[in-house]
Amino acid sequence: MIAAPLGGCGSIAASAGEFTPVEPGVLTVATSAVPSPGFWEGTPSHPTGGFEYELALELAKRFGLGRVAVKIVHFHRIVRGHLGGADLGIDLITPTSEREEHLEFSTPYLKSAPTVLVRAGTEVPDLKTAQELRWGAIQSTTFVETIEDSIVPESEPVLFDGQQEVVAALEEGKIEATLLDLPLAVAIAERSAGQLEAVAQLPDAEALAVALPKGSSNRQAVDSAIRALTSDGTIESLLEEWVGGDAANPEAEIPLLHTTLR
Amino acid sequence: MLAALTSALAGISLKSPSGAAWEFLILFLVVIVGPPLMTKARVPGIIGLLVGGFVIGPYGLDLIGAGNTTVPDLGQLGLLYLMFVAGVELDLSLVRIHRRAVLTYGVLTFALPMTFGTVIGLALGWILPAALLLGALLSSHTLLLYPTARAAGLSADRGVATAVGATVLTDTAALVVLAAISGTQVAGGSPTSIAAQIVLGLAVLVAFTLLLLPRLARLAFRYLGTDRVVRYLLAVSSFLAAGTVADIFGIEPIVGAFFAGLALNRLVPNEGPLMDRIDFFGSAVFVPIFLVSVGLLLDPKVMVEGGTLKLAGLFILASLAGKALSAGIARLALGYSGPQATLMLGLTVPQAAATLAATIVGFNIGLFDQSVVNAALVLILASIVVGTLLVDRSVARVPTPEGVGARIGARILVVLTDPAQAALAFALAARIAAADGGVVRGLLAAPRGNAAALEPRLGELLAAGYAVGVDAEPHLLVHHALAEGVVNVATESRASLVLLGVADAAGGSPFGSEAEAIAAGLAVPLGVLLGTEPTVREVEVVREADDHPGCAFDAGGLAIDLGRRIAGAAVEAADLGPAALESPPEGVLRIMPATSWQLAAGSADPRPGSAVLLLPDL
Repeated sequence: MIAAPLGGCGSIAASAGEFTPVEPGVLTVATSAVPSPGFWEGTPSHPTGGFEYELALELAKRFGLGRVAVKIVHFHRIVRGHLGGADLGIDLITPTSEREEHLEFSTPYLKSAPTVLVRAGTEVPDLKTAQELRWGAIQSTTFVETIEDSIVPESEPVLFDGQQEVVAALEEGKIEATLLDLPLAVAIAERSAGQLEAVAQLPDAEALAVALPKGSSNRQAVDSAIRALTSDGTIESLLEEWVGGDAANPEAEIPLLHTTLR
Repeated sequence: MLAALTSALAGISLKSPSGAAWEFLILFLVVIVGPPLMTKARVPGIIGLLVGGFVIGPYGLDLIGAGNTTVPDLGQLGLLYLMFVAGVELDLSLVRIHRRAVLTYGVLTFALPMTFGTVIGLALGWILPAALLLGALLSSHTLLLYPTARAAGLSADRGVATAVGATVLTDTAALVVLAAISGTQVAGGSPTSIAAQIVLGLAVLVAFTLLLLPRLARLAFRYLGTDRVVRYLLAVSSFLAAGTVADIFGIEPIVGAFFAGLALNRLVPNEGPLMDRIDFFGSAVFVPIFLVSVGLLLDPKVMVEGGTLKLAGLFILASLAGKALSAGIARLALGYSGPQATLMLGLTVPQAAATLAATIVGFNIGLFDQSVVNAALVLILASIVVGTLLVDRSVARVPTPEGVGARIGARILVVLTDPAQAALAFALAARIAAADGGVVRGLLAAPRGNAAALEPRLGELLAAGYAVGVDAEPHLLVHHALAEGVVNVATESRASLVLLGVADAAGGSPFGSEAEAIAAGLAVPLGVLLGTEPTVREVEVVREADDHPGCAFDAGGLAIDLGRRIAGAAVEAADLGPAALESPPEGVLRIMPATSWQLAAGSADPRPGSAVLLLPDL
């Protein structure tokens, strides 16, 4: 009897925080790479799908905004608080205390373990083997520190500007392994036609959250929206749709690489 | 040497504390230190836990960071526990006794704050689900101050009993609204299918908790629950199971936990040992951790924002106005005195369990933001302070009801001289106690010098109690005069009824003069049980022969009451004439008021397969 008026929640709920976009009617989102397998499909001007793009669409719908506009901003600029005038950044960003000096972070929308991506045939059964590999990582990501502190490879990791560069270097054999967030590593491996493999995940999962400009008054609304999308199963189903079951259920397949024996 | 030591010390690397041990240490320190600090400042201890949560949380010292999942997960378990305890502690017998007043006051004290809250939500421009959820969180209340009224001897006062009974209605109604709101927000599909799912879910939940769960729990208590740890874990499992059933249908698990509490209400008497353990673990670990986890959400920056304070003011106004209006109307309609109405208001103003539950659920499903959570926390603080003031002011002005403590099944003391009677005695005691949600304690009488020989037989009493779902905590009653021993223990334990087992009346038992001495010394009724047959198929009540003007109890009325409780149906007293002094037929329990000469004349053992319960009417 009360279901009918309760059914829709396409408008802003004042009780859950107000969202004021930079451009009326538009949710402007900063990210570092489009396409990014499973996360941003299509082109920056015509995104066609992907987990994070669909997440942005859901947020826009909840805030009563008609469309999503994408701005490409380099990852290391995003984490220093430069969102290029966007309302928010969605780019598999892990909140850290250093980044919190420049940005506001929402409640996490995913928890993800750093995952080892290698060329097919490379085995990483233990830490010692991992230490003997040549590692690469995207600069300004938390993975640089994770590789240096937790894996402690014999040679310094090679830093790259972005995801496409690090994956290309891996495919070309310039590096032997890299760390990426589990869903992204799984998605890249699945689309590599058997060339790449996600072979191990590290023990400590990291939270991934939406970044907002420092002092943004929109944080409460974004927090509420993410809690709503988590509790109604939207985030899980988007993850399954765009990245696959392994990413949605990371404990199922990918073995753990113990990093405590340094 | 020194250089080597310096070098070794320089090589030591310490890291900042982290991990589960550190988090639990911080949590428990807050639980230990928070409430006493607040209590010293004359602020309720619960506030100490909330403030402690803030201090260690991301908006305080950040010892428990925003991404921490351990504390919130444990907090969720604590929330389920809290709702289970809220259900299991409610005195359902009061609902039955004062049902008209309970219904009237329950409807008023739910509907008025619900309406005010919803109107305020809509006026603030909230969407309907958020406004309704606000109404629900304002309409419930928590009986935080009931112990104050109970300590003042007012638990049987009509006003107090009505307020306690009304809690069943308000909390159930508030949680049903919560179930509907969260269901519509979380479940996918058309409005019709969502509504159907919620209705089906509630129907299944009610069937599971109120029909299936008590039976399963009774069976489990009987066959698995001889170990106290197992009994406790069964109680915990029951609310987890009910929470899971609720969750399957998209209903918040706290609704299931509350219903599980109601379902086990009769099986877990408030003064019983199992309730002690549930209370102990709840108040020591689970509930404090929940409150600390709520404190993690406290953000002083948000709390002192104009918007949050405005919300808090409106919440307080709607809640207090709704509750005060309810008490005022109830006073006029149901004839309560002014102090009674004030006491009822004081008892129903404090908000904690269901309010926090509704708020946190609203937050988790994205209907509420942090300012609503913080405003609700201000409301909780204000409601507890106002409630405390009202109860403290009114409790001394409400007269203590006369003849209270008269709920016959509240605390039954079973005294046996022979463990062979344990099965029959505990079966009858359990049935008598059930209607009042009472407890049964068992004593095995042991004359001085014989205690060591009888002690091993306590296990028989324990097993017999468990077989009928009673944790009787049997002890030896070592005595040199049985009458004095029984009277002393009954007085000390505030027994409401004493059942004295006499297995072998003809064999020099404590019958006759000792039963008379016990009955004369007790301030509560005594039942003298003859026979050992535990399977009673029929109850026969004998009409009292004469009036005994000086008698302390209406033995005839008591016989009918006990007969009704034991038989589970109304019974009428019959005049058996001289046949009353003969043994009853097989499978029959005969309950009869007995004068002194009848006690003496009826001292023969009943034939095997039957039993007699004599109620001395001296």
